[in-house]
Amino acid sequence: MITRRIYRALDARLGTTSIGRTALAKVFPDHWTFMFGEIALYAFMALLLTGTYLTLFFEPSTSETVYDGAYQPLDGSKVSSAFASTVALSFDVRAGLLIRQAHHWAALLFVAAIVVHMLRVFFTGAFRRPRELNWVVGVTMLALALLNGFTGYSMPDDLLSGTGLRIIYSTVLSIPVVGSWIATLAFGGEFPTPETTPRLYISHVLIVPGIFLALISVHLLMIIRQKHSQFPGPGRREHNVVGSRLWPAYAVRSVSLLTGVFAVVFALGGLVQINPVWIYGPFHPAKATSPAQPDWYVAWGDGALRLFPPIEFHVFGHLVPAPFLPAVGVGTVTFLLLYAWPWLERWRTGDKASHQILQRPRESPGRVAVGAYALTFFAVLLVTAADDIIARLTRIPVTGLLRTLQILVLVLPFVVAAVAFFTARALRAGTATSLGELTREDLHAGLSGRSIDRRPDDEPEERIRLWRNPDDTWRWRWYGPGEELSSNEAFLDRQEALDAAKTAFPGVRVEQDEPPEGVVLPPPQHKPGPATKAAAALVWVAMAVLGRRADRRTPSRSEASE
Amino acid sequence: MSGTGPMSGQTGAVRRIRFAFAVTVLGAVGFAVSYGLGGNTQLLGLSLAVAFAGLAYGLAVWGRRLLPTGGFVEQKPELAASPQQRDLLAAATDGPESPLQRRGLVGMLLLGVGAIGVALLFPLRSLLSFRKPDPVTMLRHTAWEAGVRMVTPEGEPVRLTDIQAGTIQIVVPEGHTRDGDAPAFVVRLNPALLDRRPAAGDLGGVVAYSLLCTHAGCPVGLYEQTTGRMLCPCHQSAFDLYRDADPIAGPAARPLPGLPIDVDEAGFLRARGPFTAPPGAGFWSRP
Amino acid sequence: MTDQPSAPRRGHRMLAAAAGLGVLGLPLAAPAPSPSPSASPLPAPPTGPDRGTVLYQQSCASCHGQRGEGTQRGPSLADVGPASVDFQLSTGRMPLSKEGKPNVHQDAVFSESDIRALVQHVASFPPGGGPPIPVVGGGSTPSGRELYLTYCSACHSAAGVGATLNNGRIAPSLFEATPTQIGEAVRVGPGLMPAFPPDVLSDEEVDDVAAYVGVLQDDRGELDRGGWPLGRLGPFTEGVVAWVFGLTIVLLLARRLGSRAR
Repeated sequence: MITRRIYRALDARLGTTSIGRTALAKVFPDHWTFMFGEIALYAFMALLLTGTYLTLFFEPSTSETVYDGAYQPLDGSKVSSAFASTVALSFDVRAGLLIRQAHHWAALLFVAAIVVHMLRVFFTGAFRRPRELNWVVGVTMLALALLNGFTGYSMPDDLLSGTGLRIIYSTVLSIPVVGSWIATLAFGGEFPTPETTPRLYISHVLIVPGIFLALISVHLLMIIRQKHSQFPGPGRREHNVVGSRLWPAYAVRSVSLLTGVFAVVFALGGLVQINPVWIYGPFHPAKATSPAQPDWYVAWGDGALRLFPPIEFHVFGHLVPAPFLPAVGVGTVTFLLLYAWPWLERWRTGDKASHQILQRPRESPGRVAVGAYALTFFAVLLVTAADDIIARLTRIPVTGLLRTLQILVLVLPFVVAAVAFFTARALRAGTATSLGELTREDLHAGLSGRSIDRRPDDEPEERIRLWRNPDDTWRWRWYGPGEELSSNEAFLDRQEALDAAKTAFPGVRVEQDEPPEGVVLPPPQHKPGPATKAAAALVWVAMAVLGRRADRRTPSRSEASE
Repeated sequence: MSGTGPMSGQTGAVRRIRFAFAVTVLGAVGFAVSYGLGGNTQLLGLSLAVAFAGLAYGLAVWGRRLLPTGGFVEQKPELAASPQQRDLLAAATDGPESPLQRRGLVGMLLLGVGAIGVALLFPLRSLLSFRKPDPVTMLRHTAWEAGVRMVTPEGEPVRLTDIQAGTIQIVVPEGHTRDGDAPAFVVRLNPALLDRRPAAGDLGGVVAYSLLCTHAGCPVGLYEQTTGRMLCPCHQSAFDLYRDADPIAGPAARPLPGLPIDVDEAGFLRARGPFTAPPGAGFWSRP
Repeated sequence: MTDQPSAPRRGHRMLAAAAGLGVLGLPLAAPAPSPSPSASPLPAPPTGPDRGTVLYQQSCASCHGQRGEGTQRGPSLADVGPASVDFQLSTGRMPLSKEGKPNVHQDAVFSESDIRALVQHVASFPPGGGPPIPVVGGGSTPSGRELYLTYCSACHSAAGVGATLNNGRIAPSLFEATPTQIGEAVRVGPGLMPAFPPDVLSDEEVDDVAAYVGVLQDDRGELDRGGWPLGRLGPFTEGVVAWVFGLTIVLLLARRLGSRAR
């Protein structure tokens, strides 16, 4: 077999077998919410592939050129190379528009998937020790995704994106003391400058994606090193992961998800028009279009700009302009809070322990309240960013709408947070598994904070069986009430298998079939004291007896090794 | 799960997977054909999406019906090493022969590296060309000065007689049509209705103001001629031209800077001086 | 246009509004603009020279006065000019069905010949004057595109969908406007809209703008070549679609993949 020979050559040079065996046997928890991050990853892959294609045609320059192509109303017009090449991609490059639109849709999906993934991690407490570092890496990736989305939106030099760029420029300009320096350094002068587009380009296609790739690697390496967290359930412990193995079950499902993401990206890219820059026309500092919105993932900033009252004040005779507090302030505070959250929560709860078992959201009503507050706050900001469109469609005066939203942004988050808080407490207090099952008593308990006494779960009947396969490898299996879990890989010797079982289920007794001659128990790792020796002897006797009884009760099972 | 027995429910699943992968082939062929026929975006997108969706569906059925799901457990050993091991690592890094033992040298090394780091920050200053004035000067100054002719964004000079009641003309300084800070507009107001005299003066009701919103710098291009209001398309600020372009709604806090205008012998509009204040969004050193 | 009520479009709109997704309504192509039959010179109305007088007395005089001098309920028509009258009548903005109702584009109440008769009658009021009905057609779209983005897009949007103004008023969408109506609106400046006299926009430039608006109306479906245009409302609706269609479908797939087959 040619593949076996090639693999043997590879293994001889790199020693890939043990890594490969471990990797294929890696266990992923069986819960759909663990796939959110994967969705983001696959959207990122779609972005890399489509984006690379786009770079072959896009000209990142604002130097003037004459568009000569199929879009008749622009034919023969003098426009920037960036704009002309984007229109050419949409009209004159065959399949160019599909790839361009797929790229843009993938970007919208990408950030959405990151946000959903972050919400899962937040509400289940997956960011707690030992995963704080990965939370920090993830928040950084969210920030970079927003940045790269914005630079991509700004590159075609069309009227809409130029307006967005102008707003960002003004926002940076509003930073006290250093704002004018940062803004003019970043843009190469006073907006608009010919330097802007090439800088956006190199940042969009090289610098940020490069950092992003590195951070994805770190993110995944940390997951591999720490292994997955998991929801509570039968057999789920602090020192094991229960679920499906990478190969074959998870690999097939992952590729299915990958192709599913690609299907959605290309379906949207082909069927739903996005960012028709030829309609918006080229940027000119004296021209405007209305309605003007940014992409959804930065629209919260635009909403904050619209919502904030016209307040400017002076500090030591210097101006603090209106955009500073809503745009710079809200963005900075949000990300600082995100970064600090694991430590803030630890400080608040005093919980410094390491956690591999996730919480259900209801187990931490305070956290649910904070999350509900933030979600509502940003939802109101997003709606505000579209206040002109809503006013246009409903004929409500935009000033009245704005006043309503100003009140909502102050009140609604508290209301939603309070409702979420008491709902979570009611769920925690009772036995309801979903909102529909909440009883009056539960709700009352949720409001009063009193806990309903529940019988502690009985100590589960559980045991582990260890056996030797016909090919001399070893495996083990855990038996609990209503659940059986097999060891994820075959072990080369008995000791290895026993160690794994004892790590995964400390304190659970181990039975074994076909004990090899002479060796029944592992040698103790540390020099045992007399008490340990006595206990070990007892366990030894017990296990020997029980094992033999088990032998008599069930005929020895043989299980084919993988 | 239904796939516990080797045969139960599997033939149906296999048939579905085979069908899905056949759809993928059809989609891929469709993509190639649509490309060859001229590349209609909708056909291309649909065929490619169908191809990928076929894979996604087939693999989903495969993964859920034909492959064992769940039921495995992997041990998760403690990652932290024993104190003894940590001591060994510390001894290896910071032992007697370790360069880290020479604290003085290490301090100097860090100083040197830091110095290089700081020195390498200097070229970042080149992001803003040295041929340009410093930022604050740039932000305060526009191309408008006494005698500069007003032209349309297309470069046509503008006459006072062009500015009739109810119309609006966007103007830029001649020779600076693409300057970001210079766009202005000229309108003719009813002088009898002016609530506040324009600080930059008027020519029988004809006034000029900066086009840039004082909030975030967008062009305030929406002119309501009957109410004399300018609206900003970005964040819905409104400015009342009859009150010297005072902000009356939205997040803008300062009035639009006025532009003093004059008319030359040929009847063309010219600036009589710079804006009454730096135009556009505010900044720290704005006077 | 005026005699084509375009029922499918309104049906579509109501459907979309009912779904709470009016923002996603397709800007269906307007019927091909007829070559401005109302352009001057005005032929005599078919039902006799008194037709205009009769219609004016019936529908207009109560607000605008017997000789267009205006009353407390309506402005003077003495010097508005034929373009303004034709614009208001052909876009159905006048006569108001109910006083105080915002006057917006709807189906014209009068037939083309009646409108011609009314325009002629109002033009006879002293002192007269005002912009005549322009003859619009055959402009160049590249020039029109640039002019449109300079003069029109701030209010009517670069995509022609219109935008919100102060106090619940809007700049309307241009998808139903005929070239003549566009020319009339440019010259007259109806409502809040600024007027652009020939010194600012020449007749040829108005032709160009009208030609480009024709492109935006997208009769041949070439402008929205990217697919469903989402009402051309921009990134907000795109974001809604990305969440509602895009991410939701992917999440449903993940939900399915993450559950065991039963």
